[in-house]
Amino acid sequence: MLLQLNNIFKWVQQGGQRVFLLKDINLEVEEGEFISVMGPSGSGKSTLLNVIGMLDTFDEGEYNFLDEPVHQLKEKHRSNLYKQYIGFVFQAYHLIDELTVYENLEMPLLYKKISGSERKAMVADMLDRFNIVGKKDLFPTQLSGGQQQLVGVARALITKPKLILADEPTGNLNSKQGEDIMELFKQLNDEGVTIIQVTHSEKNAEYGKRIINLLDGRMV
Amino acid sequence: MFKNYLKIAWRNLLKNKGYSLINISGLAVGVCCFILIALYVKNEFSYDRFHTNADRIYRVWQHENYGPKEDFVNTTTPVSMVNVLKNNYPEIEDGSRVHRFNALVKKDKAEFNETVRAVDPGFFKIFDFEIIKGNTTNPFSNANSLVLTEASAIKYFGDEDPIGKSLSLEFNNEVKFFEVSSIAADPPQESSIQFDILVSFQNEALFFGERARQSWFNVSVESYLLLKPGQSPKLLEDKFPVIIEQYLGDNFEEDTFFLHLQPIDEIHLNSSLPPGLEPISSPIYGYVMGTIGFLILLLACINFITLAVGRSFSRATEVGVRKALGAFRKQIIHQFWGEAFLVTLLAVLFGIGLAFIFQGTFNSLTGKPLAITFDLSLLSIVAGLVLFVALMAGIYPSIVLSKFNPIEVLRNKMGKGASMGLFGKSLVVTQFVASIVMLIGTLVIGRQIDFLVNKDLGYQKEAVVVVPTNMSGDEATTFADLYVTELKKQPLVANASRSIFSFSENGWIDVGFTDGTNTYQEFTVNVVDPGFLKTHNIRLTEGRDFQEGSSAETQNGVLVNETFVKRFGLQDPVGKPYDKFDINIIGVMQDFNFESLNNVIEPLMLTMNRAIFEHIENVSIQYSTQPRVSVRLKTQDLGGAIAMLKTEWEKINPAQEFEYRFLDEALSAQYQNELRSRSIVNIASILSIFIACMGLFGLATLTVARRTSEIGIRKVMGANVVDIVTMISKDFVKLVLIASLFAFPIAWWAMREWLQGFAYTVDIGWWPFIAACTTVVAITLITVSFQSIKASLANPVKSLRTE
Repeated sequence: MLLQLNNIFKWVQQGGQRVFLLKDINLEVEEGEFISVMGPSGSGKSTLLNVIGMLDTFDEGEYNFLDEPVHQLKEKHRSNLYKQYIGFVFQAYHLIDELTVYENLEMPLLYKKISGSERKAMVADMLDRFNIVGKKDLFPTQLSGGQQQLVGVARALITKPKLILADEPTGNLNSKQGEDIMELFKQLNDEGVTIIQVTHSEKNAEYGKRIINLLDGRMV
Repeated sequence: MFKNYLKIAWRNLLKNKGYSLINISGLAVGVCCFILIALYVKNEFSYDRFHTNADRIYRVWQHENYGPKEDFVNTTTPVSMVNVLKNNYPEIEDGSRVHRFNALVKKDKAEFNETVRAVDPGFFKIFDFEIIKGNTTNPFSNANSLVLTEASAIKYFGDEDPIGKSLSLEFNNEVKFFEVSSIAADPPQESSIQFDILVSFQNEALFFGERARQSWFNVSVESYLLLKPGQSPKLLEDKFPVIIEQYLGDNFEEDTFFLHLQPIDEIHLNSSLPPGLEPISSPIYGYVMGTIGFLILLLACINFITLAVGRSFSRATEVGVRKALGAFRKQIIHQFWGEAFLVTLLAVLFGIGLAFIFQGTFNSLTGKPLAITFDLSLLSIVAGLVLFVALMAGIYPSIVLSKFNPIEVLRNKMGKGASMGLFGKSLVVTQFVASIVMLIGTLVIGRQIDFLVNKDLGYQKEAVVVVPTNMSGDEATTFADLYVTELKKQPLVANASRSIFSFSENGWIDVGFTDGTNTYQEFTVNVVDPGFLKTHNIRLTEGRDFQEGSSAETQNGVLVNETFVKRFGLQDPVGKPYDKFDINIIGVMQDFNFESLNNVIEPLMLTMNRAIFEHIENVSIQYSTQPRVSVRLKTQDLGGAIAMLKTEWEKINPAQEFEYRFLDEALSAQYQNELRSRSIVNIASILSIFIACMGLFGLATLTVARRTSEIGIRKVMGANVVDIVTMISKDFVKLVLIASLFAFPIAWWAMREWLQGFAYTVDIGWWPFIAACTTVVAITLITVSFQSIKASLANPVKSLRTE
């Protein structure tokens, strides 16, 4: 078992009323799964992903990640946990414009205090694997959207996470580019990486082995 | 619509209270400094221009050159000269002498030591000093006429009408009665001629002996001339040599004696000539202050603009909505510029308020009693300032934001904000340079002053009280000796001594003479009693101290210091005479700093007999030679000791007021200018740091705004708070280090220049540099941390949200 959500509630107080963002979510994810989260805008897809990624908190319920009770962990402990095991891929790529492709890939390794020679090897390995060696000295603005997202995925993978969380990874891409990224995800999943993606597209959702539908913060 | 704008502007100010406060107070402080400094600079450069005839009034100065070491420039001139010039040259319309002397002024039982000035009848015709009461046409109708200023009239007569009342003046042991003929307005602060009490020059026989009144080698009065309209001072100067030759007679030598004319409005700022009766200033102070004032204002404005622009990014959505709802671009421009104008006006008004509040503090710093007056030039500068700053501060939101397509703006494509770029950085570096230089200045000046105040001067300054007799002539000496004898009987007194000068007076008697080898030599003299060395704990290296009651020593015994022996190359001086003087050197004193530490120790001779002056050619005396009594106390109870000194004084001289000063306090007061510099530099460094912090804060705000999403990404990638704060702070620390590279040499050079004004100095050393740099780094980190910690604590989910 990779992670387990039990009766998760998240709400915001608005004019004396609770507006629920997540309502009684129960979810178990095994290692090696590929899950697609679907639902209309505002149904809580991104919120769920952020809760799983420990970037956002919740108000009620239990969350166990690799048998660690996340709801009881201190902030520092929690961030160590996600640094070690989770990689993020964003719709808007979120590469740092001032850094080259190489430096963008290297960044997470710097925060894990990995030695210089080891970093070099790991970045080179990633560049090789994604066929972007020739682009390593370019800045994100010099790349197409698809290429930027490729770098985004490579950056998420470089710390060898157990779980990849992708929030509409193809949302800003055309269909051909999107298809490439999805193929890449499928391949990664076959290699054993667990993936949870949020998507609007039925077609992309099909790449997942399991589909979760959300409506008004509730699983349907 | 206007109300809507106003509402939004006001709510925006309130929404970011801290931000608005910092922004507005920053500009306000800048404006406040500028107004105060402008006042000072204007005053410095407007000296003596209030005279209607300022362009025709000249002061005569005298230049004598008899060889390389005998070059004398004086702005005081011979007593008889004005009348000689006036009678010989038709170009001169009128002239007046100004003579300053001290007198004891008595009204009934009240006595005051006053500085009185004697002037010619032309005084009120030449200068624009207004007579407001009494005889306005001819205030000096006879020799007994006396003119008071408003302030001194109140001092002596309170509410009474002073006209026709009498006052007595006592000087040179003579008492003379005067009658108040008129009241003059107090002379303006920016006048090189100051006065409280004026008497007529018709009394000149009272102040000057026959010889002094005729000799052209004796300079004691300032001479002012009013030329007739259209007369050239240059042409007149060229005619002077004829008169000089005529009046010097047998003493005339070709090309040794010159008279020159100095325009009155150049007196105050021309430091190449010695000061006359009033202190002068160097234009450097005006320029330096002016530059500082302008820079402070400029930096404050730029910071204000930067901060305003930085904040306007958050208004992008509002602009988008307004445009989408049908606002014309022009309306948006009006709104944002109006808003900028409002905030700027608020800041400037606040600054003017501050200027009024801190006026007193500033005056005590500069030592000038100035009042803020809003004349046209200052008002137009302030108005121009408001317009310019508002224009610049509003330029981004009104011009750039309003240009964009509303959809784009609403989609928040431009929420990232512009980077500060090289311009912003160089601005912050400049501000750091100023802060670091000021801080180093603060530290070095502080250390030098501590050094000056605490240095071992070679005599004891603690627990010594100096009592001036305020009497002159033989009567004073007799009185002082009696007082000393009485005090020595007191258990609280360790020792007491009479001398004509004490230590806090810079400049004892400087004498010059031509020695046996025909070389011009100078040394310093003080006339003392036998107890002087014992009272002040001055050490001897050779010979012995004065013996009390030995008439031979009273006649010709002298003590000299080590410098005297070295300078004049004396071998085994004890028991020998020196050059042509009929003296006997009985001892050599270890060198001690009888003058302030601005000066090196010069040859010194202590004598008990004034006869030493027989072979002297030049005598320069800056203080009155009325004897002082120095008393060294045995007790910690200074209050009790002073009471005892007063009781003893009143026993032998009940009529006169008892005055005293503590020697150590009087010595510290010598460094008043240095203490003032220290206060000014301290305040300037605090201000420059404050203003630099404004700029820094603005830059940090912009940086963080620009890097919000980057910070979010880095956090998601595993960066913790320390990583983020370090990342942001690192860039700013780099700026401080770059600034240090510029600031260190500037500060080193400036401090070296300043220290050159002292004969004894501390080493500048390296630690003030390190301390200043470290302080600025620390302040930088704290300032930046407000923004960086906030940014690093923010939830990355928010900054990375795509919708």
